[in-house]
Amino acid sequence: MKNLFTFVGMALIMALSLFLAVITGDYGPWYFAWLVGTTMIVLIAVAGAVMYEKQDAESQGKTGRLH
Amino acid sequence: MDMLINPTVVELSRLQFALTALYHFLFVPLTLGLTFLLATMESVYVITGKPIYKEMTQFWGKLFAINFALGVATGLTMEFEFGTNWSMYSHFVGDIFGTPLAIEGLMAFFMESTFVGIMFFGWDRISAKAHLVVTYLVALGSNLSALWILIANGFMQDPRGGTFDPNTMRLEFSSFVQLIFNEDAQAKFVHTSIAGFVTGSMFVMGISAFYLLTNKRKDIALRSFRIAAVFGVISTIGVVTLGDALGFIDAKAQPMKVAAMEAIWNTDYNTASAPWNLIAFPDKAAGKNLFEIGVPYVLTPLLTHSEDTVIPGIHQLVDEAKPKVVNGIKAMVALKEYNHDHSNVQALATFKQYQTDMGYGFLAMQYAPDQDLKKVDASNLASVVDKTAHETVPNVWVEFWAFRIMVAFGFIMLAIFAFAAYFSLKNEVEKHPLLLKVALWSIPLPWFACEFGWITAENGRQPWTVYNMLPTFVSASSHSVGYMIFSLIGFVLLYSSFIAAEMYLMFKYARLGPQASHHGHDQAPAGGGMAGQPAFAKPSLAKK
Repeated sequence: MKNLFTFVGMALIMALSLFLAVITGDYGPWYFAWLVGTTMIVLIAVAGAVMYEKQDAESQGKTGRLH
Repeated sequence: MDMLINPTVVELSRLQFALTALYHFLFVPLTLGLTFLLATMESVYVITGKPIYKEMTQFWGKLFAINFALGVATGLTMEFEFGTNWSMYSHFVGDIFGTPLAIEGLMAFFMESTFVGIMFFGWDRISAKAHLVVTYLVALGSNLSALWILIANGFMQDPRGGTFDPNTMRLEFSSFVQLIFNEDAQAKFVHTSIAGFVTGSMFVMGISAFYLLTNKRKDIALRSFRIAAVFGVISTIGVVTLGDALGFIDAKAQPMKVAAMEAIWNTDYNTASAPWNLIAFPDKAAGKNLFEIGVPYVLTPLLTHSEDTVIPGIHQLVDEAKPKVVNGIKAMVALKEYNHDHSNVQALATFKQYQTDMGYGFLAMQYAPDQDLKKVDASNLASVVDKTAHETVPNVWVEFWAFRIMVAFGFIMLAIFAFAAYFSLKNEVEKHPLLLKVALWSIPLPWFACEFGWITAENGRQPWTVYNMLPTFVSASSHSVGYMIFSLIGFVLLYSSFIAAEMYLMFKYARLGPQASHHGHDQAPAGGGMAGQPAFAKPSLAKK
């Protein structure tokens, strides 16, 4: 049942995303750009932080240093 | 319009609005950007489960709270100011302008304010994932607030979606879709929102650099620096891109603003080689640049994204405005006759014939004898038309330099973020103290860029409150000069105390840093998140 709810939830998000892409893509390209761009900026910044953790773990492994 | 408009009251109203708007805009960009940075930090906390990211979110959230409170307070003042100081404007465009403001208040602002409470006080009351959703809703709410304000502003820059009703003397809605999908509103929203991201990034990066330089909580500082540098470099590229898009849109919708922004007095028909003025000293009275250094082959592609589009100069635009002034005078005289007698079909027909240029008739009022357009006749028509047409030119010197200062700060920040991101991603940022010092002292740069950007947008719109439709001259309330000076002094005193309180609190909590402020409230052990399991980290993830 939990999987079904997850599937339905994800399907709704996908439908909403497609709706936004079609509507804002046609009438509000810059609004669409903001939605996509902001998501991208956040995700890349999150990836940067996760990368930091990996680098930190590696340097701790080498030097025993703790940040 | 029987009572004479006092130009001093109009100028004082403009000064008061400019001061309160620029003041309010000190708080807005940080709110727009810091909320998404908090969401980013909290996302890492939820993904990795590392408590230090929760501590980071809480620490930067505390600085956000100080800023948020003053942003709200100063924003509310401005909404009232439309009614108190700009009553003619509010009457004329209230139907259209009021709608996005109301939506902003009801939807975005309430959403933001409600979830801010849960964000600050809900750490131990809801799950980590639910709290993350709340933080994203705060970020979305703050940016949606900006969206509706900028939709309203977009209408002032390029009025779409409204039609003038001569019976009610108001602009009324004709298309809500046109209002919200206005190109100017779209590009300006994204430009402004991402400028907020840049501001938030520089704020976090600069303060993190301070901690690194003073050897304070390096665990938090290095992580914050990384997130802010990456967030900032992409955002700055976005701001530059959207700034270019906005210039492209303005070149079509507001050619006078763009001509003033670039100090172009004469139309250059050699479009491909037309020079872009890197430096100029524009003199509005003389109608030329006293000194200029131009870079050939840059102007036309920069503004129009083509090589053969003619960019009209200020003199050409003034000449093009003259017949519009003549038509506008006819429209306004007919409108006045129709208002005295609504059965006057001839007056209504004349008004509708010249309605498109009505705004220029409004603008001509200040040069008509006793501000009465009926007194404009063959003997003074040429003089009134000439003065009114020249009135359509904004302050070129301010426009030219405000734009250039904004752009210069934008590119300086791009360079700083690029170096910061590069060295941070290589984990070598501590080896470059000069970069850390530059990052620290660059904290004010985005604020300067934002303020000069706002000056560029609003000074360039002058002499209109609603471009080509309603001049600033007729938009103000009919207060006395004494009232305006009294309220202006009140604002200056009150807002000075506000900014003093804000700066004191910001400096205090930023200097204290995460550890000190954290210990003051949470009684966590020394060493930060990585040195043990602090009290605040237990509940939310444990609930999963």
